Amino acid sequence: MGHAEAYKDEGTPAEQSRRTFMVNATLALGGVIGLGIAIPVVTSLVPSPDALGSNWSPLTPEELDQLKKATDKPIKVTFAVKTKDGYLPEASSDEFVWAIKTDEATFKQKRPELFEAAGKLPYPAVNMGFVVFSPICPHLGCRYAYSDELKKFACPCHGSQFTDFGAHTAGPAQRGLDPLPLRDQSGTAQITWIQYVQNISDHIVLSYST
Amino acid sequence: MLTWLDQRTGLVTFTKGFLTEDVPGGASYWYAFGSATVFALILQIVTGIFLTFYYSPSAATAWESTKYIMDKVPAGHFVMSLHYWGASAMIAFMAMHLIQTLLWGAYKKPRELQWIVGVILFILTLVLGLTGYLLPWDLNALLASKVAISIAGSAPLIGGPTLAFLQDGASIGTLTINRFFGIHVWLTPAILTVLVALHLMIFRWNGPAGPPIDAPPKLKPGRFWPDQMYMDTVVSFAMFAVIVLLSFVSPAPLDDKADPNNTAFVPYPAWYFMALFALLNIVGGVQNPTLLEFLDLVATIIVPGGLVLLLILLPFVDRNPSRRLSRRPWVLGLTAATMFGALGLSVLGQVNVQKQQVLNGVAGPAAAAASTAEAPAGGAPSAANLAAGKPVYAANCAGCHGAAGAGQPGVFPPLANNPYVTGDPKALIHTLNYGLNGAIKVGSASYTGMMPAWKGNLTPQQIADVATFIRASWGNKAGAVTAADVAAVAK
Repeated sequence: MGHAEAYKDEGTPAEQSRRTFMVNATLALGGVIGLGIAIPVVTSLVPSPDALGSNWSPLTPEELDQLKKATDKPIKVTFAVKTKDGYLPEASSDEFVWAIKTDEATFKQKRPELFEAAGKLPYPAVNMGFVVFSPICPHLGCRYAYSDELKKFACPCHGSQFTDFGAHTAGPAQRGLDPLPLRDQSGTAQITWIQYVQNISDHIVLSYST
Repeated sequence: MLTWLDQRTGLVTFTKGFLTEDVPGGASYWYAFGSATVFALILQIVTGIFLTFYYSPSAATAWESTKYIMDKVPAGHFVMSLHYWGASAMIAFMAMHLIQTLLWGAYKKPRELQWIVGVILFILTLVLGLTGYLLPWDLNALLASKVAISIAGSAPLIGGPTLAFLQDGASIGTLTINRFFGIHVWLTPAILTVLVALHLMIFRWNGPAGPPIDAPPKLKPGRFWPDQMYMDTVVSFAMFAVIVLLSFVSPAPLDDKADPNNTAFVPYPAWYFMALFALLNIVGGVQNPTLLEFLDLVATIIVPGGLVLLLILLPFVDRNPSRRLSRRPWVLGLTAATMFGALGLSVLGQVNVQKQQVLNGVAGPAAAAASTAEAPAGGAPSAANLAAGKPVYAANCAGCHGAAGAGQPGVFPPLANNPYVTGDPKALIHTLNYGLNGAIKVGSASYTGMMPAWKGNLTPQQIADVATFIRASWGNKAGAVTAADVAAVAK
């Protein structure tokens, strides 16, 4: 253990300043290495804009017919969406939404919060005489279903319930169902599949709509 | 030989010093909870490494490779079950270790930092349980993880970045599986292993705290090796025996592949999250929206976060140096209240899951696991098929065959445990379509009643639904029948 003696030697002022330099240089070089690793690694964890994208999906005539059958009772509309899940090849997957036939005045009366400044949607809720609801429960993201017995939408995960117009009536969800954008593009109906931030009272769009 | 090694490495001297260390107050079975947790960690690492030889994290392969491990890999299902039950054992023993430390006041000076490292280890282990839950990518994995990710995403301030880190995208998908895989297999175990080493180093520095008395322990001193090591091994062995037994009796389940469009499946959290799950259900009873918003935050963030914070701060809040049980009514009372609260909530959560399953007409997870394990022809019946077949059966069939499929002796055959019902679906469809006349035998009993032809009275879809229903009810475990199958059977 002879080398331990070296630490007891305080050395000349020149030796002291040489050591101070080495300590500082070691810390500085180590810091640069640390940042050099941390910056690219953390950057790589930021979701790419592709992963957040969403597109207008055209409805085929058959899919549109399902929508047209919607009455004042909600109906499930299934349609094919072209999706790209990360690095997997682009695939067509079946998605569904819930649609109800209504008009602006009725819907405004049933869901006033969607028309007030705070909860206002960035797009019209009622289009072509329908409102289309995202099938994702605004609580914690499970898919709800329509219960014919209750005459309500009910979520299997934590028991949230919603009226035909999507107003929240029971369970832990903090807001009503989220309407999705629907538009008529030269005779073809299109729906945008977008996601909202879960479990808050405001409707905040998570994915970009283009 | 050993001298040669020691001269060049110092390993023998180090090991001797490590093993012959005195255990003040003598070896005790009371010290075995922590070491059994370490054993469970080793079991998890070993079985986990073997699972990565087959598991493939992506939306297209996660479920498929898990199924492959279960069905094709020699002893694969057993190794997976060891990992499945090992996780529960690790959390259970860690919880006991934590509660014992709480009750004995072993977190007090000078062991504050050892306690805090332990609390962090507890959280990391729960993170491992949570991230491991998603990896099989079955229905339960998808929904339970969706809930967990949404809770993390709704946290104030850190919610957004946490969501981006965990989910990587607008919804749960293949990138999420990769994230969870990285967190479960590399990130958390790496941190955990370093912190376990730190926890043990601090432990060796402080020595065991001993029983909750203020006087120095009067027990005879003992050594770590072999006294304490023997007791640790006995407890670990007992734990391992239970894990092996459970792996045989109740192997790790796998539900149907994750399908975001399935609205009938009722997800169930792991038992160690059941209390928090129940809290959400209770909060759901509140009507006032402002209060609800606040209570949602309480149930998802404030209660779990507050408990963790309380545990971390405990050694600094409870500075009373006495470790005697009678001198610490507050800590003991709070611990007992939390434990009983968690237990009561867990029972409530279990009841809620079962209620919701009845509402949705779905069988419990055990039945789902059984039906996938048997790999029935035509695929496992979906909950929707079963729900559709039930009313058809009640309206048309139950009159003769009975509500429970028991039949009537000598006249109408039972459907439960009837090989004709669970056998080749074509024969069953033929009977349903065109009826039966004349005596038939089921087992050794003979039945003479007449079966009407249902074709024309019921649609092919209804016949398919009812066939699926009777093939999967009352203990029957045969595969689903589709309307196309029904249409394909000619007279």
